[in-house]
Amino acid sequence: MIGIFMLAVAGLTSAAAYLLGVRAMGLVPTRLGAALGKMLEMVGAVLTFLVADLLVALVLVALRGVTGTFVSVYVIDDTVWLGLALLQGLVFQWWREVSARQAGAAALEQRGNLG
Amino acid sequence: MSLDRAFRLTGLVGVAFFFAAAFTPLALALHLWMAVEPQLVPSDAIVVLGASVLHSGILSAESTRRTNHAIELYQQGLAPRLILLGGAPEGGPTEAEIRAKVARLHSIPAEAIVTESMARTTREEAARVADLARPRGIRTVLLVTNTAHLVRARPLFERAGFEVHAAPSDIYFEPITPEARLVLMKRLLQEVLGWIYYRIAGYA
Repeated sequence: MIGIFMLAVAGLTSAAAYLLGVRAMGLVPTRLGAALGKMLEMVGAVLTFLVADLLVALVLVALRGVTGTFVSVYVIDDTVWLGLALLQGLVFQWWREVSARQAGAAALEQRGNLG
Repeated sequence: MSLDRAFRLTGLVGVAFFFAAAFTPLALALHLWMAVEPQLVPSDAIVVLGASVLHSGILSAESTRRTNHAIELYQQGLAPRLILLGGAPEGGPTEAEIRAKVARLHSIPAEAIVTESMARTTREEAARVADLARPRGIRTVLLVTNTAHLVRARPLFERAGFEVHAAPSDIYFEPITPEARLVLMKRLLQEVLGWIYYRIAGYA
């Protein structure tokens, strides 16, 4: 019941954002699919960092016998990993985005100079 | 496959998993599938694995649940001894000491209680309990911990030479909110990872 309520609230605010975007901000409805794709890419990047962080953590935990420092295997249980991975994923994706935009602008400028 | 496509696929899997874990009974189904059937039979001792304790000396919810379950088993006359585990990684009183205090408050005699607070991992707990139990002639134990943890803990205690009877402390646990389902799923995944780690390391 709580889950249905939460999904309903998120559905309502999403519908309101859609209407606001289309009517007040002039956003193109057909580009919504591309936006969802971008969202999935962002989530994918975050999850990739999360898995990488946890794998490295597990390897370091496994090495505790070698390093002599005790780290519990329960360190992987911490929700903070998700927050860190979120920051890493966002920065990485935005870095790619800005670099691609910059490369595109430079290419346009070069074409303009040639013309 | 391009990086964007790989991320999109990973993201799709992640989002689908999030919705399935938070809004469907998937976590509960997995929990029940992993569940070890309780074997509440008379044994030589009840062994209560460590969870965590706050610096202020308050037992965590998980630790309290395990301790209460063990006290209940003792009061049912299923074993004459209570072996309580748990250290104090952050300093302060140990989890085992606090649990012993709780047990005494429930009229369990001090001579029936054994505490151990040096072990830091489940594997170390099995080894330490074996050292404590051998001189006391303890062979069969009722192992008290949560269901997901039992999957990993049970083989360790069997390897340490005990006949283990499972006494899960959370068999009736049923998450009803999306957050509780996510917490349960996280715990199950954590134990699966722990189990894989123990298998690779050759502990289980």
